[in-house]
Amino acid sequence: MASTDTTNGAVQISTGGDSVQTRRGFLGRLTGAVVALGALVASWPLLRSLVPNVLYEPPKRFRIGTPESFQEGVTFLEEHRIFLFRESSSFHAISGVCTHLGCTVKFSPFMTPQEETVRQLTYRALGEFQCPCHGSKFRGEGTNFAGPAPRPLMCFQVELSPATGELVVDTATEVARDFRLVV
Amino acid sequence: MKFLNITTLWQKLVSPWRPESNREAGSGIVANFLLHWFPNRISVRSLAFSASFYLGTITFVILLALTVTGVVLMFLYVPSVERAYWSIKDLDHAVSFGWLLRRLHRISAHLMVALVFLHMFRVFLTGSYKAGEIVRSARPFNWVLGVTLLVLTLLLSFTGYLLPWDQLAFWAITVGTNIAAAVPVVGEKTRQFLLGGTVIGQPTLIRFYVLHCALLPLALFAVAAWHMWRIRKDGGLAIVEQDRQEALVRKPAEPKKSKTYSVLGIASGTTVQVNDPTTLNEDNSVPSTPFLTIRILVVSLLTLAISIGLSLVVRAPLEAAANPEVTPNPAKAPWYFLGLQEMVGYSALMGGVIIPTVVVLGLMLIPFLDREQKGIGIWFTDGPGRRWAAFGVLYGLVTTCGCLAIALLAPMRDIFPTIESQFFFDLVNPATFLLLLFAGMYFLVLKKTSSTRYAAIATFCAFIVAFVLLTYTGTALRGPNWDFFWPWQAWPSHPMAL
Repeated sequence: MASTDTTNGAVQISTGGDSVQTRRGFLGRLTGAVVALGALVASWPLLRSLVPNVLYEPPKRFRIGTPESFQEGVTFLEEHRIFLFRESSSFHAISGVCTHLGCTVKFSPFMTPQEETVRQLTYRALGEFQCPCHGSKFRGEGTNFAGPAPRPLMCFQVELSPATGELVVDTATEVARDFRLVV
Repeated sequence: MKFLNITTLWQKLVSPWRPESNREAGSGIVANFLLHWFPNRISVRSLAFSASFYLGTITFVILLALTVTGVVLMFLYVPSVERAYWSIKDLDHAVSFGWLLRRLHRISAHLMVALVFLHMFRVFLTGSYKAGEIVRSARPFNWVLGVTLLVLTLLLSFTGYLLPWDQLAFWAITVGTNIAAAVPVVGEKTRQFLLGGTVIGQPTLIRFYVLHCALLPLALFAVAAWHMWRIRKDGGLAIVEQDRQEALVRKPAEPKKSKTYSVLGIASGTTVQVNDPTTLNEDNSVPSTPFLTIRILVVSLLTLAISIGLSLVVRAPLEAAANPEVTPNPAKAPWYFLGLQEMVGYSALMGGVIIPTVVVLGLMLIPFLDREQKGIGIWFTDGPGRRWAAFGVLYGLVTTCGCLAIALLAPMRDIFPTIESQFFFDLVNPATFLLLLFAGMYFLVLKKTSSTRYAAIATFCAFIVAFVLLTYTGTALRGPNWDFFWPWQAWPSHPMAL
């Protein structure tokens, strides 16, 4: 049975059940749904346009110079935030970016290098890394041992460019911390 | 000539406007566009300095000062990585009064953050977030709007921090945006969306610039307008509840002549007598003009005078141009985030994500957890309230110092040297202890007093103390490599580092 509600001017339809649906109520909900859908559709291009498809950032893989140009021990490549280690003819690269919140760590050299075993890896430690922001500390091979840093420093792939004979560091490729490039 | 009449001119200069009737005072408000947001009459109680310390007014005046200086600075600043730093240098050295604009904008931004906090402390401690029993007002909702304003103020300050593009700016933003990356699953995506890339660069600068100059100010002004409109709708400052209580118990006075007009055909004569039952009457209220307006004028002028005076003596620092290759040692976030940075030093997830979320949600929920309606507008509610506040301060002092001592003397990694799981240290660290100690205290006080208000007072006072202590530690006691230094200890001048 349909009855007309004259005070509101809306038609009230008794459905027989407990819920009473009005045409006005239905249209109101429909309008709300369409507005919400419209807002969702409209906000997609607005937000998606802010996620870049092309990044004009420095390349992740770059030449750093001939092996001979690096001194024995550790060299900090400021531009790339990388520590390059040389032990006569063996090379490896450790990231200078703290794994906690991204500050550049500092290398604090020991008075004399010492043999050290960290997580089953025995190597000749030249010093340790310290982060100035929240006091994280890392062993000479990158393992975090104090402060809030959640992970060891990253170790990057080092190659020899066949064309120019220069060392190439690939920061997009992470390697194990016992990785050594022997030239 | 008439305008040369010195006596009249002198009187106009020195004697304030004295309306001769309530009607004249009322139309002084209603007829004036700038004054129309004030009520016609204002409760004498809410005019008292101790009721509010006018902290909301002062914050709004500072916001206006920030807007005016900010718009002028927009004409002089170039948001590009090549030019940004040098346009700030020009402000300091080449632009007439550029140094003043920059210093005033900076000191006002710091003051605004501090004032928003102080305003929140005042509103909490006077119980002004409560609805009241006589007229259920929407003050609980207005408290939520206020917490939103606090968050917006912090975001505005944080986005503005990057714009000078010096070392201070660059590394504070590096640390700040990396905290976002500590959120599980969506963290790294969020960080890259904020930065507009994988590292801080031109896309980041323009994002922060637009957020700082357009989007966030619009949001702040919209919510601030809503916040102030609600104060009017809720009947003014919360202390008005005391007037309402009194109006309720007041004996119906002798009917008095309050309106005079002709009521043809309804009553005889030209006068009806009405018993005035409203909250505000001749005894407990005064016309807003001039009593409120003159106070707001004085407070505004003092605020401006003090912030300009401060900017004459406090220099705005500008370090070397931003250099992603060199991290300054120590690298610190803006002062109001140093309490967080101290806790981020224990765990990025706990100190940078979980605790800020819990604090903001906890603040928003206060009026819905504490629904007791006594002592609205009165500092610390009553005598036991004052004692629980003192207890909270003491408890906060002891627990915060204890957690700082644990962090300094017995780091978790030294206590559990064999555990390598980062998740373990995210859960077990001094920041978590502090969070649990405060939550525990809330429920203990609640159990002992069966009063949500006393429990809230004790917890809030402990929170204030922890906030102040942690901020002080992060600001003054942390030196190179985030090592701990007492105020009387000198920092090493040549750190052993490559």
